[in-house]
Amino acid sequence: MKLDNNKLKIVIILGVMCCFLTAGIITQIKTVQNSPTTVGKTQTENELRDSVLRWKEKYENAYEKLEKKEKELERLREQVANSNESAKGLSGKLDKYNLMLGKSDLVGKGIVITLKDGEVRSFVGGDPLVHAQDVMNVVNALKNAGADAISVNNQRVVDSTAFNCIGNVITVNGEKIGVPFVIKAIGLPSQLYGSLTMKGHYLSMLEAGGVKVNVEQVDKETIIIPKYEGIYKLEYAQNAE
Amino acid sequence: MNKNITMTISIGCVSLILTMLMFTQFKTVDETDIMAIETMRETELRSELANWKEKYDAIDKEIQERDLRISEYKNELNNDANSTKLLSNEVKEAETYLGYYDVHGEGIVITLSDLDSPVDYQQLLELVNELKNAGAEAISINGQRIVSNSYISLINSSIILIDDVKTASPYEIKAIGDKKYLESALTIKGGYIDREKVSIKIDYRVEDNIVIPKYDGEISLKYSKEYKEKEEEAN
Repeated sequence: MKLDNNKLKIVIILGVMCCFLTAGIITQIKTVQNSPTTVGKTQTENELRDSVLRWKEKYENAYEKLEKKEKELERLREQVANSNESAKGLSGKLDKYNLMLGKSDLVGKGIVITLKDGEVRSFVGGDPLVHAQDVMNVVNALKNAGADAISVNNQRVVDSTAFNCIGNVITVNGEKIGVPFVIKAIGLPSQLYGSLTMKGHYLSMLEAGGVKVNVEQVDKETIIIPKYEGIYKLEYAQNAE
Repeated sequence: MNKNITMTISIGCVSLILTMLMFTQFKTVDETDIMAIETMRETELRSELANWKEKYDAIDKEIQERDLRISEYKNELNNDANSTKLLSNEVKEAETYLGYYDVHGEGIVITLSDLDSPVDYQQLLELVNELKNAGAEAISINGQRIVSNSYISLINSSIILIDDVKTASPYEIKAIGDKKYLESALTIKGGYIDREKVSIKIDYRVEDNIVIPKYDGEISLKYSKEYKEKEEEAN
C-alpha cells in the first residue's frame, strides 16, 4: 500500500497521540488507585472530627453536672454551718479559701494590659513578637506589685498555672491562646499601674523591642476575672501532718 | 475536503481529551501536598481527642468524689460533732492546696550555682515555669515555698527576692511530682538544662521522698469581691 505524504503525517501524529493517550490513561488509573488513600484519610479525619465534638460535648455536660454537685455540697455545708458556732467559723474560712483558690469569678478595680505583636523590629536585636516567656514575666511583675487575682485571655492564673510555647501559640493552663494577649489584674490600681509602667521594667523593655503594649488603669470596680476551670488534685504531694 | 475536516475534528477531539488528562495529572501532584496537610490535621485531631477524653475522665472522677462527700454530709447531718469534722477536713484540704502545710512525696531537687555568670532571676522564673508545666505539685526555692501569688525579682546581681525574702546563690529548688516525668521534662534535648548549662552550673537528683515546707506568709484578697451574675442572685 502506498501512502502519500499527507496521510503518513496524519498517521504519525495520530500514532504519537495514541501513545500520549495511553500514557494518560495509565496515569489516571494510577491516580484512581491512590485516591482511596486520600478519600480514606478524609474519612478518618471526618470521623475524628465527630469524635472530638462528641467528647467535647461529653466533657461540657459532665462539667455542668459537677457544678450542680458543687452547689448541692454548698447547701449541705450551709446546713452544718447553721448548727453550731465552730462550724460557722469553719464554713466562713472555707469560703475565703475557695475564693483564693480561684473557684469563683472575682470583680474589682485594677489594671488591664494588652500585648500585640509589632510589625517591625524597633532596633537590631529587638523582638516585636510576644512569647510565652513575656506573658510569664508580666504576670510575675503583677504579683510583685500586689495583684490579688490575674487572668490571661480569661484564663485564671492559679498556683499551678504555667505558660508554654507551642509553635506560634501560647498555652495557659493547657489551653491555647493567641495574640492579642489581654492580661487583667485586680489590685490597687495606682500601685499596679505605677509598678508595671516604670522605665526599665519589663513592659518598657518589651515596648522598646517592638511589641505593642497598652496599659489601662481601671479605677472603677469593673474588672471581672473568671474562675479557674481546672481541677485541684494532689497525686504525689501528701500533707506531712 | 470532507476527509480533511474529519481528520481535523478527530485530531481536535483527541487533543482535547489529552489536555484534560494532563490537567488531571497536575491535580494528582497537588493532592500529594494535600495528603501531607491532612496527615497533620489527623495528628492534631487525634491529640485533641486524647485531650478531651483526658479532661472528661478527670471531671468524671471529681463527680464521683463529690458524690461521696455529699453522701458523707447527708449521713452526718444530725450529728453536730461528725458534720463539723467533715467541714474541718475540707478546710484542711483547701489549706493544703494553698500551701499552708508541709508536704512530702517523690520528686526532684535541682541546684543552680553561679559559673561564668551569676544565676539570673529569669532562670529561676523559667525553671519554676518548666516544673509547673511538668506537673509539679509543690515547689520551694532555698526553703521558700512557692505559692499562687509568689514572685521572683532582682535586687542586684547577687541577691534575688522571693516574696520579700532575700536569698542568694546557690539555689536549691525542690519539686514534688512524678519524678520520672519531672526529670525527662528538664533533661529533654533543647530543654531547660540543655539551654542554661552554658552559663550556670546545674546539678539535680531524683528522690523518693522530698519534704517541702509550708508557706510562712498569708495569702489574701484585698481588692476583690466574688462576682455573681445578676440572674444567679435573682434565684
